Amino acid sequence: MRLNTCTDALTGQTLKPSHAFTTVLRAFGGAIILGGTPYAAQGDWTVGTEAGLRHDSNVGNAQPASDIVADSTLKASLSMFQLLPLSDGYSLTVGGNLHGERYRQVNGLNNASVDAMLSLKKKWGLGPFVPWARAGITVGRSSYDYSYRNAWAYHATLASGRRIDERWNLWAEYTFEDLVARTHEELVPGLSGDAYSQVDHSLRLNVEYALSGNVYLALGLMGRRGDVVSTTQPNYNVYAVSRALAEDPAFGPADYAYRIKGTTYGFRVGFNYSPTAHNLISCGFQRFDTHAEGGNNYIKSIVEITWDHQF
Amino acid sequence: MNRLLAAGAGLILIAATAPGQGAELRVMVKDQHGKLVSDAVILATLLDPRAAQRVRPLGDAVDQVDKQFVPYVKTVYVGSKVLFPNSDHVRHQVYSFSPAKKFELPLYGGTTAPPVVFDKPGVVVLGCNIHDWMVGYIYVSETPFFAKTEIAGTATIEDMPPGEYSVRVWHPSLERTEESTARRITVGADSSGAAAPGAAAPTNAVWTVGLKPLFRVPRASGAASPGYP
Repeated sequence: MRLNTCTDALTGQTLKPSHAFTTVLRAFGGAIILGGTPYAAQGDWTVGTEAGLRHDSNVGNAQPASDIVADSTLKASLSMFQLLPLSDGYSLTVGGNLHGERYRQVNGLNNASVDAMLSLKKKWGLGPFVPWARAGITVGRSSYDYSYRNAWAYHATLASGRRIDERWNLWAEYTFEDLVARTHEELVPGLSGDAYSQVDHSLRLNVEYALSGNVYLALGLMGRRGDVVSTTQPNYNVYAVSRALAEDPAFGPADYAYRIKGTTYGFRVGFNYSPTAHNLISCGFQRFDTHAEGGNNYIKSIVEITWDHQF
Repeated sequence: MNRLLAAGAGLILIAATAPGQGAELRVMVKDQHGKLVSDAVILATLLDPRAAQRVRPLGDAVDQVDKQFVPYVKTVYVGSKVLFPNSDHVRHQVYSFSPAKKFELPLYGGTTAPPVVFDKPGVVVLGCNIHDWMVGYIYVSETPFFAKTEIAGTATIEDMPPGEYSVRVWHPSLERTEESTARRITVGADSSGAAAPGAAAPTNAVWTVGLKPLFRVPRASGAASPGYP
């Protein structure tokens, strides 16, 4: 167990988990049961659940080997969306998502989040092989066991693509992300304590290839530019280029979160299998290589297996 | 759905040839690996155009259940009116681009969509513009003598006037053309092999057809988000 409680260096008070995760997990249970009832399936609502396991080789985005923390996460989500077809190939999707993550070691990162989304999609023609474009916004709130990381999340997305045929599917997606977290007291005069707020832009290119009627492979390439939060023990190289600094007791009493600017390149390969029409099992591997200011570079790999069920 | 079937039954025209009086053709279809093939359409065309052709039912339905067309393959006689009831809790927008019948039913739920008349023989591929993975087939037959194989790979065409037929097979994943499967078969033949009215023994035939892998749009896809599927 990496850490369960720690002491706030500024106030001397013991930081305790808020148990937001446990509370929301209970809410999940109820919502999932509700989602499975015929009542919730009425109308054009699409109800889906997802459960998964993820292993992150570098949870804190650290460069020094001594600061790298690997951890596994159990995650679950419940989503509800409604499609509202408009005229001329336009459709509106409104919905929401409840999401929770539980870390095996870094318990302070256990979190639950809720978000609402709205997207407008345009299809140029009838059928699966016509080009489409989508613009969407998402507003969400994340609540962590250590509440200092709690944040509002705002996303704006533009996506466009085309299924070439039954086997090949291509699309690209641009996302603007703005995470607004609480501003903490300055640990160093003149250096912001708002270490957990981030603004970034990312572009993803995705290809899917169907091996059979219920198996397809996915490849995604990603480029991201903007803020990253790197958690390390006191580190001058990172400090020198950081835009903000705050304690990060989820990792340890001597760990600090630094907000720095960086560019990330990454890829994802995935294997997806639908055992039935309502279920999808996905295995994925992701690799990210971040080049941040001041030569602060770090690498992380994520292995993930998820199970989606759509009611 | 029961009301719909009752309405469909109301459209059925009584066969000109009294049932039970004709011959019977029993067909089994296997693929190149010996596996029994379901959803194969068997079409028998009487070679003597002077022989009486009975009139087939002119009302039918293709349902939408669990965001799939049911049945997956439907065979109708040319000129048939087909209803597309929607048994799902979500609305569908059914369309076809096929030369045999181009149509589009604007988004609807329940049984509100008007019937579609299939007045040209050929294969009609069905889709839903909301749920891209939905695909179904309607085979519009120019001959009234047809049947579709069940899971056991067998189909029976009943009440056929005895005589010589050109019989062929169609399937959504047929490797070659349906014409390449055509055979001449005498149905209701007596012991000498000649067509004989009243011959009781059904005629049996086995087809082995080459099938190719059929790829369908996956029901779930990353591009489908948000709102998978």
